[in-house]
Amino acid sequence: MILRKRGVLGFLILLVAVLALAAAGCGGDDDDGGDGGGGGGGAVEALPSASCGPIRQGEEEPDALIASDFPLQGANRSLTTEMADAIEYMLEQQDWKAGDTALGYQSCDDSTAQAGSWDSAKCSSNGRAYANNASVIGVIGTFNSGCAKLVIPIANRESLAMVSPANTYPGLTEGGPGTEAGEPDNYYPSGTRNYARVVWNDQFQGAANAQYADELGLKKIFILNDGETYGLGIATLFSDYAKKLGIQILGNQKWDKKASSYESLASRISSSGADAVFLGGIVCNNGGKLIKDIKAGAPNVQLLGPDGWTPISATIEGAGAAANSMYITQPGVPVDQLKGAGKEFVDGFTEAEGKAPNPYTAYAAQAAQVLLAAIEKGGTDRAAVSSALFETDVTDGIIGTFQIDENGDTTLGLVSVYQIKNGEETYVKSVTPELDFVEG
Amino acid sequence: MNIPGLQPERRAAFDRELRPRLIKGGIASVAWIVLVIIFSGFTTSLIISTAILLALYAVPWNMLRYGKWVVPSVAIVLAITYPYYRDDLYEVPLFGPFPSVDTAVTMTIFIMMAIGLNIVVGYAGLLDLGYVAFYAMGAYTAAWFASPHFGESVGNVHVGSVGVNPEAAGFHVSIWVVLIIAGIFTGIIGVLIGLPTLRLRGDYLAIVTLGFGEIMPQIARNGDNLFGTGFNLTNGAQGINPIDPPGFGETIAGWTGLPADYLSFSSTFLGREIGGIEVFYWTALGLLLFTVFCSVRLRDSRLGRAWIAIREDETAAAAMGIPLMRTKTWAYAAGAFFGGIAGAYYASFKSGTFPDDFFFNISVFILCMVILGGMGNVWGVILGGGFLAYLNQEGLGNIGAEINDTLGTNIDVPLYQFGIFGLILVLVMLFKPEGLIPSARRKAEFEEGAVSEEYLYDARGPVA
Amino acid sequence: MATQARRLPFPTLAGRLPQYIAPALAMLLVLLVVIWLGVNFIKTPSEFYRLFLIGLTNGAIYGLVALGYSLVYGILELINFAHGDVFMLGGMLVATMVSSFGLAGDSGLFLWSMILLMLMIVMAFCAVLNTTIELVAYRRLRHAPRLAPLITAIGMSFILQNVGLVWKGARPTSVDSILPRGEVFTISGVTYTWDKLIVLLFTVPVLLLLMWLVQKTRQGKAMRATAQDRDASAMMGINVNRTISFTFFIAGALAGSAGLLYALYITNIRYDEGFRLGLIAFTAAVIGGIGNLPGAVLGGLLIAMIESFNNGLGWATPGSDWTQSIIFALLIIILVFRPEGLLGEQVPEGG
Repeated sequence: MILRKRGVLGFLILLVAVLALAAAGCGGDDDDGGDGGGGGGGAVEALPSASCGPIRQGEEEPDALIASDFPLQGANRSLTTEMADAIEYMLEQQDWKAGDTALGYQSCDDSTAQAGSWDSAKCSSNGRAYANNASVIGVIGTFNSGCAKLVIPIANRESLAMVSPANTYPGLTEGGPGTEAGEPDNYYPSGTRNYARVVWNDQFQGAANAQYADELGLKKIFILNDGETYGLGIATLFSDYAKKLGIQILGNQKWDKKASSYESLASRISSSGADAVFLGGIVCNNGGKLIKDIKAGAPNVQLLGPDGWTPISATIEGAGAAANSMYITQPGVPVDQLKGAGKEFVDGFTEAEGKAPNPYTAYAAQAAQVLLAAIEKGGTDRAAVSSALFETDVTDGIIGTFQIDENGDTTLGLVSVYQIKNGEETYVKSVTPELDFVEG
Repeated sequence: MNIPGLQPERRAAFDRELRPRLIKGGIASVAWIVLVIIFSGFTTSLIISTAILLALYAVPWNMLRYGKWVVPSVAIVLAITYPYYRDDLYEVPLFGPFPSVDTAVTMTIFIMMAIGLNIVVGYAGLLDLGYVAFYAMGAYTAAWFASPHFGESVGNVHVGSVGVNPEAAGFHVSIWVVLIIAGIFTGIIGVLIGLPTLRLRGDYLAIVTLGFGEIMPQIARNGDNLFGTGFNLTNGAQGINPIDPPGFGETIAGWTGLPADYLSFSSTFLGREIGGIEVFYWTALGLLLFTVFCSVRLRDSRLGRAWIAIREDETAAAAMGIPLMRTKTWAYAAGAFFGGIAGAYYASFKSGTFPDDFFFNISVFILCMVILGGMGNVWGVILGGGFLAYLNQEGLGNIGAEINDTLGTNIDVPLYQFGIFGLILVLVMLFKPEGLIPSARRKAEFEEGAVSEEYLYDARGPVA
Repeated sequence: MATQARRLPFPTLAGRLPQYIAPALAMLLVLLVVIWLGVNFIKTPSEFYRLFLIGLTNGAIYGLVALGYSLVYGILELINFAHGDVFMLGGMLVATMVSSFGLAGDSGLFLWSMILLMLMIVMAFCAVLNTTIELVAYRRLRHAPRLAPLITAIGMSFILQNVGLVWKGARPTSVDSILPRGEVFTISGVTYTWDKLIVLLFTVPVLLLLMWLVQKTRQGKAMRATAQDRDASAMMGINVNRTISFTFFIAGALAGSAGLLYALYITNIRYDEGFRLGLIAFTAAVIGGIGNLPGAVLGGLLIAMIESFNNGLGWATPGSDWTQSIIFALLIIILVFRPEGLLGEQVPEGG
């Protein structure tokens, strides 16, 4: 009996060993010198291959590295890989150089497959990898604000420059509505800022959403949030701004992303007499089912969503016909209305990749442009690159003309409104909330 | 030739032990060396490291005087000096480079948790599927006592904190104190959970602990407005961060040269540049050694023998006068204690804690370490825990990169992560239920079938 | 003999306390719940009806899954963690079939025959899958300590979840809505729709059929005998292994049918849905009295009602944030104070 057990086990081990050998062996002969991206190219030290892809570089051996930090697995996969492609595209446009510095680029992943989204252990471990690798002079990321809260302080201690194309949580750069006590200073232990973003923060988006809801004549709004950093934040901000505009907020409730049905929630909405529901959260958190159930239980409410519901195609795919008539806002101009450098980027990227970029992809390209400009000024000195970020003055960049202010926020403020009609996204208009309204 | 520390008359027995092991180990070593040379080329480190392993394995150290200390002390020395030679190590075929120091910290912490769980599952035989709850309690304790979190709601308390502004808001207690608080606090929680539930039979206990493991993250997630009172206990899904780094403070650092604060530490020690990460690693190693020491001492104590007696036959143990409830509760408390310390240290290492970190998968992940290594055996659990934590953190990604690199495919290996863990659980249970390094007693149990659950005869055959 | 020893009366905390305390606490709890429901009913009656109907429908699905747990536990005393994931894979199979058959927008006889066909396929698929799992992961461990099969069950559950993840990805898979969702009747402004009725119309006969199978047929007798005492039934000439396989087959078929209902009614399925729902269903089985078939359905209904009322009611309601915690707290309370469940007898047996 025992012998038989051993026999089977031995056989299994043998089988695995043979498979492993076969797997490693097949490519062994033609790739002897290559080393799985682990050992790196020449002068620069590569980031660990467990979470980062191989170094991409031009003809020249790179003097320094930049890295991007996005969740490359799970629900956002197609968007985030496209963003990484856009960064690579931008580098290619500049012949992998910023000024005199030849650059290499690694795309790093801060997600785990089973979470399907960012993972705190991965984020902080990536952050330490960037900070401790002297070759890295800039990071483009993160995608999620929660992850940024972990990475920024680590990078800050080493004055490593970060530019985010997608973090919209206000507290990362400034205090005020929708932030917690101590923010943002607790993310910058060195006292000097190192983080900038090219996307408008949620204060503006919340204000713009509230303003647009007011324009639509909605009087009673029920708010749902997914309880996460982004969702809860934008829901609270929307609620604040909407109240200022005299809109009645009937409730602000969490939806459980793991629930199998939201019928009872929908019934609560319908009995509250709301004429609209604002969905503060992201489509990946079971958003499709949520929309379906709300529309089934309360067919007459107008749905409003912030940019967590982009790419809009994901919302349409998840919710089907129930998504029709939903308004979704997104910071920035739609990609097909970009002009100048933006149009060039969109056309070039479409040609290179075979499909039009998402709006966030344009932001990734813009973030790359900002970081490359800073490297051009600062060279390979981390502190110089970081401080150069705050002198950014982009004229006719990919997403337009803007500066980065002393907090690291962009001055470009514009929110586009889309509506889903017959399973297609259609651009409605752009909204720019007054600065006084946002801050006051 | 005399071998120091060996009585001459035992020489023959020594040789008898040595020879077959030398042959077996020698063949394995040569095969390994050839394999590595073929796939990743020759390095001196390969020969040296294989030789050390061979010596550790082949020589019957136990026969020598002080010999039983050789293997543990060599292992400890190797572990401590790891940051010094890690970069010179060879690349393992398929797995790529050896784990980075960063990964080694995580591995060490998970091994600690596995050892804690081993006390509950391995020693006392109580299946706990909610161990993540203790990890969470530890992490949140660290978050409460060493972050700005309570600044607004409660007030500011500074006790020996390092690396933070003395005027900073919130509780800032030195991490060393926090670790102790976390251990004791989770231990108490362990007792509280244990008291009502430990009376249940094995699988009911499993499901109840699973229930606790599911409730805990929900409390963490919704604890920003606890029961509608407006009190912000856990800061909800936002998580609590930044958590203070460990450190010894400027004063002690000035006297001893120990790091004032791990995150901004950097110095040169024995010819190598030492940054925060190495200090994190050594501290984790220290905590691990403490855990291993306690675990081994506990196992051999009166209490430990009572646990094993309960595991083997509850009724008989009770009949022999072992107080079942108290003994089981102690197992829970001890397991929870180490889980809490590990959780608190991990939170400080990550400098943040989020409710999403504490899902059921983690409980199973830690259970998997215990099962793979060998329930009840500390050394096995260390091995199993280290390997699985490495796989999770770095290994699967590396294997994926390696496979895709050589084959030119695009297989997303980490995608199969929990399938792989599931497979490990199933295969180990089916073919080697006593684990990689079984404890002798446990092995006997598995081979004989459970003592307490013996069937009268085998109902397997075709009776009808 | 040995099996007798394993089934000592449950040692409960209640045994330690004065005898009247546990019932008194239970009465108090029930009273509070009744008051809560009553006030909510008076405040918003139509809301109450609506949530009741939602709970009834979800409860039927939970009940179907719980039946599978109950059957298996009854016979093997094993919590088959993989059961929920078998259900999930069944749902995913249905999702695939609905889209590949292009059923969206169809109606009438064709639709119903296709649904019937899918039901057959998915039941067969899940039944075979479940039987295979038993064969591979549990049979070898029939004589191992109890923890061993429990651990392989968790392992199998993880493997199946991974299959689901690789198959459909991390995002929920949307299933085209093909069930008619028209109105059956309306009371006080609340519409009862066909899809809900279909779920009920399906569950009730399945339950009756299963009861008949377990109570009246030869196979059912063998199942009950095996559950009661495996050794004795083997001596009586019952093929124990075949009986256990048969039980897994039936449980799998139930999971498959639940998967179909879930996919068509809920119209969304995700790889970890099975595990989550499996936990709920297991809780339902325990609350009802594990091994007791009507108890499983009752438990399912109870949990679905709690969930529905807690998510939807307005007055003094903890809200959806706490639903999961309430359900598990209930599980813990039941296990600690009345491990035999609501309908179970002191010694839980199959059937």
